[in-house]
Amino acid sequence: MVTTAAQTAKPATVVKPRRKPRIQNGYAWLLLTPGLLSVLLLAVWPMVLVGRNSFATSDQYGAVTGGFTFESYLALFDPVYAKTMGYSLGIAAINTVLCLIIGYIVSNYIVAQSPQRQSLLLLLLIVPFWTDFLVRTFAWITLLGNGGPILWFAHLLGIPLDPLVPSQTAVMLALIYAFLPTAVFPIYASMRGIDPSLKEAATDLGCGWWQTHARVIAPLSTPGIIGAALLTFVPTLGVFVIPVLLGGGKELLVGNLIVTLYTEFRNQPMGAALSMVLLVLMLLSIAIGALLLKARKRSA
Amino acid sequence: MDRFLGWVTKLVLVFLYVPIVAVVVYSFNASPRTSSWEGLSLRWYVELFGDGPLLKTLQTSLIVGIFAAGLATAIGFLSALALTRYRFKGRAFFLGAIVLPLIIPEIVLGVALLTVFGSSGIKLGVVTLVLGHLIVALPLTTLIMMGSLSSLDPSLPEAATDLGCTPWQTFTRVLFPLTRSAMLASFLLSFTTSFSNIVISTFTSGVGTTTMPLRIYSMLKTGITPEINALGALLILLTLVIIFAVGLQQMRRILVGAEEKDQAPDAAPDTISLQTATTER
Amino acid sequence: MKRQALVAVAAATALVLTGCASGSDTGSKDSTELNVYAWAGEVPDSMVKMFEEETGIKVTVDTFDSNETMISKLAAGGSGYDVVEPSQYAVQLAVGQNLLAEIDYDKIEGMDNLMDKFRDPSFDPGNKYSIPWVWGTTGLMYNSTCTGGEEITSWSSMFDEKYKGKIYMLDNMLAAYIAGLQINGFSANSLDEAEVAKATESLIEQKKLLAGYNSTNYDELVVSGDACIAEAWGGSSVAEAVATHDDVHYVLPKEGGTLWVDNFAIVADAPHTDAAYKWMNFMLRPEVAAIATNEDYMSTANVAANDLITDKTMLDNPAVFAPEDQLEKSEFIVDPGEAMRFYQDGWTRVKAS
Repeated sequence: MVTTAAQTAKPATVVKPRRKPRIQNGYAWLLLTPGLLSVLLLAVWPMVLVGRNSFATSDQYGAVTGGFTFESYLALFDPVYAKTMGYSLGIAAINTVLCLIIGYIVSNYIVAQSPQRQSLLLLLLIVPFWTDFLVRTFAWITLLGNGGPILWFAHLLGIPLDPLVPSQTAVMLALIYAFLPTAVFPIYASMRGIDPSLKEAATDLGCGWWQTHARVIAPLSTPGIIGAALLTFVPTLGVFVIPVLLGGGKELLVGNLIVTLYTEFRNQPMGAALSMVLLVLMLLSIAIGALLLKARKRSA
Repeated sequence: MDRFLGWVTKLVLVFLYVPIVAVVVYSFNASPRTSSWEGLSLRWYVELFGDGPLLKTLQTSLIVGIFAAGLATAIGFLSALALTRYRFKGRAFFLGAIVLPLIIPEIVLGVALLTVFGSSGIKLGVVTLVLGHLIVALPLTTLIMMGSLSSLDPSLPEAATDLGCTPWQTFTRVLFPLTRSAMLASFLLSFTTSFSNIVISTFTSGVGTTTMPLRIYSMLKTGITPEINALGALLILLTLVIIFAVGLQQMRRILVGAEEKDQAPDAAPDTISLQTATTER
Repeated sequence: MKRQALVAVAAATALVLTGCASGSDTGSKDSTELNVYAWAGEVPDSMVKMFEEETGIKVTVDTFDSNETMISKLAAGGSGYDVVEPSQYAVQLAVGQNLLAEIDYDKIEGMDNLMDKFRDPSFDPGNKYSIPWVWGTTGLMYNSTCTGGEEITSWSSMFDEKYKGKIYMLDNMLAAYIAGLQINGFSANSLDEAEVAKATESLIEQKKLLAGYNSTNYDELVVSGDACIAEAWGGSSVAEAVATHDDVHYVLPKEGGTLWVDNFAIVADAPHTDAAYKWMNFMLRPEVAAIATNEDYMSTANVAANDLITDKTMLDNPAVFAPEDQLEKSEFIVDPGEAMRFYQDGWTRVKAS
């Protein structure tokens, strides 16, 4: 993820291959101390504990009792977990694709505006996310549910519409809602770096809208698109509130399963093992994204 | 085609505001059930202001948010400075470790943090809440600051040092003025992350420090009243006030991430998106 | 910057400490404190105020949304809580992890006020660690307009094709298995692998008929008619819905009733044990116990409080107080212990199917 953020920034900022001073290593470490301390104590240490617990056993009261076993990992070979993981990956992929399409359209529109208007539009995109997540989700439940305005309007027009909560449609809607800015911002950032004259040139050479985008704009915004894809895909896998509240909790997402393992099943070792698997999967997807970027940069 | 896509964009914006409008409208609903409409009423605002415990949690959330965001911004700035200006061993490790909280399901991190705090004898409370939120916000602020600093001409702080400025002077006279809006962006974004966090707060809050989202979440189990909508509506109002107080012009600079020239818009927006990624779980 | 960080943390601590102090306006400087960790909506404000006025003890009430959260907080040590409110099976878990203090009954008065059913319960023999506070049943909530006037009396209606897409189950493993086990004629507390497997099959079969799993706003869904039938926990908002809507009903299924009960218990490392005992004695008083019913539609375990319930219809509201004959044959849902793995395996299959 870091690589993406750093690399998407590069084409526009043109980092010259400057020598980075090695002599001041001591000063660098001094600057890094607070961050390093925080990360070691609050991220790495806890993760070591999680890793450790994934090999531990727990007693019938849910307390982790130590020991060393691969049982938790072996239990994950049950097809039921593969199915959950597969379903989560599917949902994440669909959400990512939809967010990317909308994100591309929105970014393309915003980039064409005057700088003043661009900022206003970006602001408008982010402001809804400064309100409480649960409050917003419940607003969706109210809107889509029975007695909500959407059903009322449909009935007024004589359309027999079932309440949309709970449904997979509602889950998708809420996921897109939640991740839309995530998709817009990186694509926008990378589109902004594109010289507008390229688009004009393409049009002058007789390229239609579709060709201009397929051959010029989209390839040039690839870093942003890959960044947006990662930022949407990875966190969607960990979602658990939306499927429960809007989807009726009938479909199990991996984030949801981990919560259940930690709470109701009081099987922390297995929850930890599943998290480690998820961690590896996500790191892999990030690494692949980074490699794709690198390959692209080389070919460019 | 472009005109058509313009309309799509406008529809998307409307889509983003639909639930927000609903929150405000339903906060005036007389009915205790959000599923039916029984006429206008200010009843829920009255109940909200009489709900001491809920307002207390708002206070807790604000305090935690401000401190977590302040710390995350400061630490993120320092780390980003080291990461962008120096090459050293362990750089990749640090970057990898800092994004861990983005990847790991929050409940896993939360329970592990609880164990860490428990075994090191730190009493659960505002301090642990701030620390828990800090680690979730740190990747955002570090990445924003890295974006901002890497677009900065490195010769400026170097020149300052060459001219005999102490590191502190370099910071106050050169770096801070140049990265001020990125810092504000970091602060606002990490504040939002902290302010809306549920899961980490569950495991890091202590006696008397229930946060507002936690309170709302536990209210769900016993029955949701439009009081929550009233609270939501007021928070929106608060947001608008903040926006106007900070000033549209200022916000423009934050969002576009342009310090002095318009050529490096990537950094801040790029990482703003990270924030939503983490808040929406 | 690091020093600033430290200063900031210190300042934050100070701010909150002063915030807490200014929040309390009762008692003198050296008045003791009591920290209660309970389910949201089960400790009425007026009860807390009454206790504070009477004893001069400053009470802090924090709420949790799951037993497991509460237990993990206690298990981490040094939580600072004195009194917690675990549900019946959670008492077993907490006791198993040595998180609760044994209650010294020399210091307790008023146990006689409790209903017989809650003296010496199966999950905590001899009330060694916990004293019941409010209780309820797990039953069926239905909307008779939606069912076309049909009376629902059995779990079988929740497995009936007729109500397809209008049925909600509680999004809770133990609760779901009550229906799954009882419809097959097994005990809701079954520890038998084959029985749990059979129940799992039924639940998977049932899933096709469900609108969803919901343990948050299912009562609203029944009231609005989005749901015809929902598995429901009695008490609070369900009881209120039954009381205020003629077509909303709550019944215990004829296959057998099950009970849940939320209990007060003293934490093993409670910093204010004396205050905790004062709280236990206080909540056992009939006039205090009646507050839970009068204000929050919860059924009190305190039978002596019945005379003090202002709205007598509540005594006949099945979503508050289960009818005596049904209560008699109802059993507590206890922890499955080692059999948990059958349930985990089964419930994962149900949810992933």
